[in-house]
Amino acid sequence: MVRSFTLSSDLGHPLAYAALVLALASLVLLVFELQRRRGAGILVALTGLVATALLTLAVLRPASVFSRGSVVGPRVVLLADRSRSIDLPGDQGSRRETLVHAVEQVKKAAGKARLRVLGFGEGAPLPWDPTAPSASADAAPAGHSDLGAALMSLASRAEERPASIVVLSDGRLDRPSESMPGQAVIEELRGLRVPVHVVSLASKSPPDASIRAVRAAGAAVAHQPLPLTIQIGCDGGLACEDLTVSARELIDGGPPALLASGVAHLEHGDATVELSITLDRAGPRIVEVAIQAPDGDAIPDNDRRLIAFDVARDRVRVLHVAGRPTYDVRALRMWLKSDASVDVVTFFILRTHTDDVKASEEDLALIPFPVDELFSEHLPSFDAVVLQDFNAAPYNLLRHLPALARYVEHGGGLIMVGGPDSFAGGHYAGTRLADVLPVALDQGPTEGAFDLASFVPAYTDVARAAPVLRPLRGFNGDALPEMVGANRVGDARPGSFVLWTHPKIKTSTGAPMPLLALGEKGDGRSIALAIDGTYRLSYSSLGSETAGRAHAALWDALLGWLMRDPRYEPAQIELLSQCMAGVPLSLRVRPLPGSEGVLNVEVARLERRDVVVRKQDRVLKGGELATVDVGKLEPGGYTARVWVGTGPSTRRDFACERGGDEWADSRPDEARLRAIANATGGEFLRASEAGQLPLPPATEVAAERRVEPVMPPWAWTLLAAAALGVHWIARRKTGLA
Amino acid sequence: MSARVSRKTFIKQLAMLAGGMSLSRLRAAMAFAEEGAFNPRPLLTGRSTFSGVRASAPARWSHELISRTSAPARLSPSPVRADDDALWSEPFAYFMGDGPIMAFTDAEIAHLRRFFAEGGVLFVDDAVPETGEFTRDAKRELARVLPDAAPIPIGTEHVVFRSFYFIRRPYGRVEGPPKLEAIIRGGNAQVIFSSHDIAGALAQSATGLSSVPVVPGGEIQRERAVRLAVNIAMYVLCSNYKDDQVHAPFLMRRRAVDSP
Repeated sequence: MVRSFTLSSDLGHPLAYAALVLALASLVLLVFELQRRRGAGILVALTGLVATALLTLAVLRPASVFSRGSVVGPRVVLLADRSRSIDLPGDQGSRRETLVHAVEQVKKAAGKARLRVLGFGEGAPLPWDPTAPSASADAAPAGHSDLGAALMSLASRAEERPASIVVLSDGRLDRPSESMPGQAVIEELRGLRVPVHVVSLASKSPPDASIRAVRAAGAAVAHQPLPLTIQIGCDGGLACEDLTVSARELIDGGPPALLASGVAHLEHGDATVELSITLDRAGPRIVEVAIQAPDGDAIPDNDRRLIAFDVARDRVRVLHVAGRPTYDVRALRMWLKSDASVDVVTFFILRTHTDDVKASEEDLALIPFPVDELFSEHLPSFDAVVLQDFNAAPYNLLRHLPALARYVEHGGGLIMVGGPDSFAGGHYAGTRLADVLPVALDQGPTEGAFDLASFVPAYTDVARAAPVLRPLRGFNGDALPEMVGANRVGDARPGSFVLWTHPKIKTSTGAPMPLLALGEKGDGRSIALAIDGTYRLSYSSLGSETAGRAHAALWDALLGWLMRDPRYEPAQIELLSQCMAGVPLSLRVRPLPGSEGVLNVEVARLERRDVVVRKQDRVLKGGELATVDVGKLEPGGYTARVWVGTGPSTRRDFACERGGDEWADSRPDEARLRAIANATGGEFLRASEAGQLPLPPATEVAAERRVEPVMPPWAWTLLAAAALGVHWIARRKTGLA
Repeated sequence: MSARVSRKTFIKQLAMLAGGMSLSRLRAAMAFAEEGAFNPRPLLTGRSTFSGVRASAPARWSHELISRTSAPARLSPSPVRADDDALWSEPFAYFMGDGPIMAFTDAEIAHLRRFFAEGGVLFVDDAVPETGEFTRDAKRELARVLPDAAPIPIGTEHVVFRSFYFIRRPYGRVEGPPKLEAIIRGGNAQVIFSSHDIAGALAQSATGLSSVPVVPGGEIQRERAVRLAVNIAMYVLCSNYKDDQVHAPFLMRRRAVDSP
């Protein structure tokens, strides 16, 4: 228990000061009076002094304070950088090792300070102690280093405010930026006036050439040039002059396709290269930007960046080639032309070599079929190719079939529509193109290439659950018009799914013959429609009931599925977090309503097409969410495929990097850290000096406090009155008034 | 399927046989080929029937289309009544007549309206353009079917004049007016009126000889009429295909060269 004194609490400070001033004035007057009347005696002086003091005490009435408490150390928040950049090389060992050592030093020197160690990266800081054995398990390295967000979060918390903040980082921060970081930190602290000390984890740049930034001018749109601005850096004493820069698109199942390349001429360790790339396929596409770094490069992982572009499409470009004009061809062309989102280029064979036109060439409004030009030079510019009842043999298409197959494998769409000159009847059996069709072609062109009987196609169970036929079934249910004739095709290829089958004809394996099958090959998709009567969805008694809208519903969905329109995908796939190499990745999958079955997930490398993860999850119902742990992946481009039961699959391409943006620029930034410290009144220290961190003093906190008056007020008053009386008597005896 | 075999079909049969194709496959191919084939179905309204010297015109039209182009066609077109649901089963009908016609019934109007709503095309051919009574009555009745549209003249600027042959003006059994007329809906000619008696130029006897003389141009004019018929069929099958940007420059150059 500690005893101290205080004055009566019912007097305010002004009155107390006034009483003291009056007492002092009285004493001064007394001294002045005694000096004028020499010999007045010491008795008057003493009694005057005592009377004045007692009178003052009677006014102020002092009290005893009995208190019991403890000394509390200052609250200090350590914000440790937990971004991936701390895994880069530091001055001695990695920056992570330096961080651990520095935190240990601060802890040792903290004394009574109450340290709270948090890790900053993305958003609010998390409890994370890099010195703890479980530090790596507590929080995965962050993909960002947002100090600004961490400071704002601290400033806005309702808990006890810190007496000081200590930031331990390499200075390569997302926020505050290089421009006026001190002012930015003051704004982010939002009135929290505490010093921000900084401990620099690295001061020297490692020998490293890297791609520091890749910026795209605007959004990526299919078929339109996209300018890329690529910043190259070279530091740490590495000898860099000219570096080759390339941009390649990662293709599912094939080698990357070179989009553009250039040379970076480095001056003072910096260079900027402008490359223009054109992505022909819409949806998520992965572009690799890489440099050829010189020998001695300490961080090869940042020589290659994988950029995910969500390529939009202004219009779907369709090449529609028909072997002869029919009502089915007419219906498809009119639908393609009526859809404002479709840009269709049409070529119909209107005249064959056996036709007798009875006119000179000048009288004919016909142009040669530019097969070579179309299927070599212009093929990549189309999103989809429709081959409708088209015989490959007479028009020299056979020699372009390998290129057409590659076009599909590299992301193009293909629809083969039936007719006498389609599928096996069109000489496609045994060609490279047959490999990318979703059905096998068993027959040659002269043997049973088609069947003539009339029939009504039958829906499969898969079709009833497939989103791609939902719009059509919305009009007609399971009813379909009668068709005349069908191309004979074989079984569906593995991974393909059949939506319509022939009610009577079987394949060689005994399965119902597919009439409408959808499949994927490499990056692309293909559709086999082994009939030529879909126009009957408009022109039939059934079609008249829907005013022809059923035909549009079917083709809109088929083309949409081919173009990976999310409306027709059987499931949605999301990455729960950005994929970083070596960090566990999870996918969130939501199958569309209507589907039910075992959830299958497959993750494969884009470049090599080797499956790295194959999982069967629980039975899912449509609309139900599932989280699938994929595990840790190596750097590279990946495609995740998901399907429910035996239904169609959907995919999502994504990229995994070792360091990402955090490793793009390996140089530490001490200038930024120093500016932060200076602006907030903090100290800048190197990691080796972390033990010398200036911490605020401890604070005493009372646990118990009791106030008792020294004497009751009447006693003070009585004593003062008595003293005044004695003083008056003394004055009278010495002749004073 | 018709018992008549065109020269083109005959040539195709020979080629297929030479290739080792069996007769059964040949028959199958031909039958499959008729699916979606051009079918100039005569349209019947009221109590009208399809008979007379021009009854062979639709078959001749199909025959000429098959022999001259890659397009398949039905060699034995069957008439379709305007109030029959079968009208909706195909996108084309051929309406010809030689005199006044009765007012369409409500059922005929309703069926024709749905036919046009689904994109159907009707070719109206006046067998006696000298009087013009059929054209007059057809326009009157079609105005009841499509009250929001009226026929307009169409000349060489329209794609029907270059859908297969370059045609400078229409001809039929008679020289007729220098332009056709059409009701354009949604950018497409859905009703094409001809006052040239195309059926008369196409009509053939059982012996294969022309049934009706063509004046004043004789057989050259008949050939022009056949070409117009082929172009109309190609327009039905391909719509405005020849107006596509990819064709337009080529055709414009060709026209420039051909022009005097």
